[in-house]
Amino acid sequence: MHINEILFWFLTALALFSAMMVVFSKNPVHSVLWLIMVFMAITGHYIIMNAQFLAIVNMIVYAGAIMVLFLFVIMFMNLNAESEPQKSKWMKFAAVLSGGSLMLILIAALKDNDGFISSMRGEGSIGLIKNLGKVLFTDYVVPFEISSILFLSAMVGAVVLGKKESSTIVS
Amino acid sequence: MNAIILSALWGVLMMYTGFATKNTRTVSVVALLGVMAVLVVNWMEYLGVSFFNIDTKGMLAYNGFGLIFNTVVLFSTLVYFLLSGREIEKAGKSPSDLYALIFFILSGISIIAGFKSLLMLFIGIEIISIPLYVLAGSDKSNLKSNEAALKYFLMGSFSTGIMLMGIAFLYGDAGTFYLEGVNAGLGALTPMKAIGMVLLLASMSFKVSAAPFHFWTPDVYDGTPTVFTSFMATIVKSAGFFAFLKLFEAAFGKFQADWQVLMAVVAALTLVIGNITAVFQQSVKRMLSYSSIAQAGFMMLGIFAMNIFAKQGMILYFAAYSIATIGIFAVLSKFKDHSIDAFNGFAKKHPLVAFSMLICILSLAGIPLTAGFFAKYYMLLAVIKDGNFLWLAIVAILCAAVSVYYYFRVVQAMYFKEPSHEEELEFSPSFRFILLGAAIIILVLGIHPDYLTGLL
Repeated sequence: MHINEILFWFLTALALFSAMMVVFSKNPVHSVLWLIMVFMAITGHYIIMNAQFLAIVNMIVYAGAIMVLFLFVIMFMNLNAESEPQKSKWMKFAAVLSGGSLMLILIAALKDNDGFISSMRGEGSIGLIKNLGKVLFTDYVVPFEISSILFLSAMVGAVVLGKKESSTIVS
Repeated sequence: MNAIILSALWGVLMMYTGFATKNTRTVSVVALLGVMAVLVVNWMEYLGVSFFNIDTKGMLAYNGFGLIFNTVVLFSTLVYFLLSGREIEKAGKSPSDLYALIFFILSGISIIAGFKSLLMLFIGIEIISIPLYVLAGSDKSNLKSNEAALKYFLMGSFSTGIMLMGIAFLYGDAGTFYLEGVNAGLGALTPMKAIGMVLLLASMSFKVSAAPFHFWTPDVYDGTPTVFTSFMATIVKSAGFFAFLKLFEAAFGKFQADWQVLMAVVAALTLVIGNITAVFQQSVKRMLSYSSIAQAGFMMLGIFAMNIFAKQGMILYFAAYSIATIGIFAVLSKFKDHSIDAFNGFAKKHPLVAFSMLICILSLAGIPLTAGFFAKYYMLLAVIKDGNFLWLAIVAILCAAVSVYYYFRVVQAMYFKEPSHEEELEFSPSFRFILLGAAIIILVLGIHPDYLTGLL
């Protein structure tokens, strides 16, 4: 087995296991920590695929910035295993049933698909920052510029919601 | 392209008007001028005058259908600003910011009118959704508004995630974001493409509040300040339907036989659930939010059939539904009490407003001589011409009959009940005449639907 393959299977197992632990952990803080592990494993996948820029961004933005925010919010809210709301048995049953059938259908549909390997297009150098920048500012320049409207509207929205209003909250 | 750039720039301008003037009336006038300007440049693009020649690499391309849709939506926005401008001024401390958000949404809608790539679809839908989350929560001192915003945000971002996952599957299969690229290739539906399609169907159904993805709609529409519910339920919903129609026509048109069953089930469920639940509502606002689900069921018929009648009918439906609902919501937003009893004896006090509202309600119910009749007629025609699943047309007709009941409860309260409420309402002369104008547009489209459908 090639070293890449060994790494791939190791990272895949790690990502899947951590993702399960995110769901199964009783303590939300543990969930967040496991989620960081998921991001780390996916970052490893990106490096194997020679997508270095994506790997670094994933590491800094997701595993770094966003997860820290998550942790802060969860600690502020003081959530723990005791304060977790009890869900009814039927709700759990329905969730398992619907989630399980979705998984079954996805697996059933994808196992017959032999197009996976062939659909990995490109020479494997598109993830390098030089090529990525070139593509971003030539082929994808219009969506890139238009997304600035999206960010502008998000900023205006944050200001609207964050502005102080004199009246107090009444129900 | 004209409309995208101008409306985004006007959104920025709206933010500055907040600094320039404290007079909220001036802000409204600037917004009104803005939407007129966007309407004009959009119409000029239809006539072939484009101010910007940007090489979008084929990601955005406008045809007559898209531009007509955009014109209808912008015109509805104009009516909305004219009727509800006063309410927007009262909605928050700085209406200029709220107007700016609405202009950003219009820019997103203009992207939706011409997208040719899944990437643009995603950006367009997000530009529409994110300002809406804020508008839903703009009444910060009201807990219901906060709840609506949070619910809408959580459910909306979840559906956006599903949409992205669908796009990822489609990209994995086709290796391209272009709609033609997704539609190209062999005739068969590959497993990856099928998964991507179903995920996109689920997320788009969420955006247009089609059953069984409609559970957020009543709570969000009810909690949101009434002015913005009006905007969400009409203009934004039309944009969602246009995106839905265009996506399934351009990207999955070849697989129509595969998704028609799914679409038929979604349409029938939406019709039945929307109409039956609306019957039991006591609040007009909540009734209207269920009625918007019910109307969405009718519009789903157009996506189901996807032929020329469906396209013409969709445009007519957007116009008829948007203008009528905006009219009713504009009156409703003057009321403090949203129950049906609040309308008791309304016709005696304000005959002109009540008459205009009557026409709007008749149009929603699909009574002949109003635009709503022909909109529904075209949808049924599309289903019958399509030939498959004729039971869908029967379900739709039965549901339309049910809808008459709950719409006419409002009419009954307005015309045949004694006034019980002492709530004094003020309708300015301009409001009354604009509402009457909207009613006249509905009547004209009800007699001559070819004025609109003939443009296609």
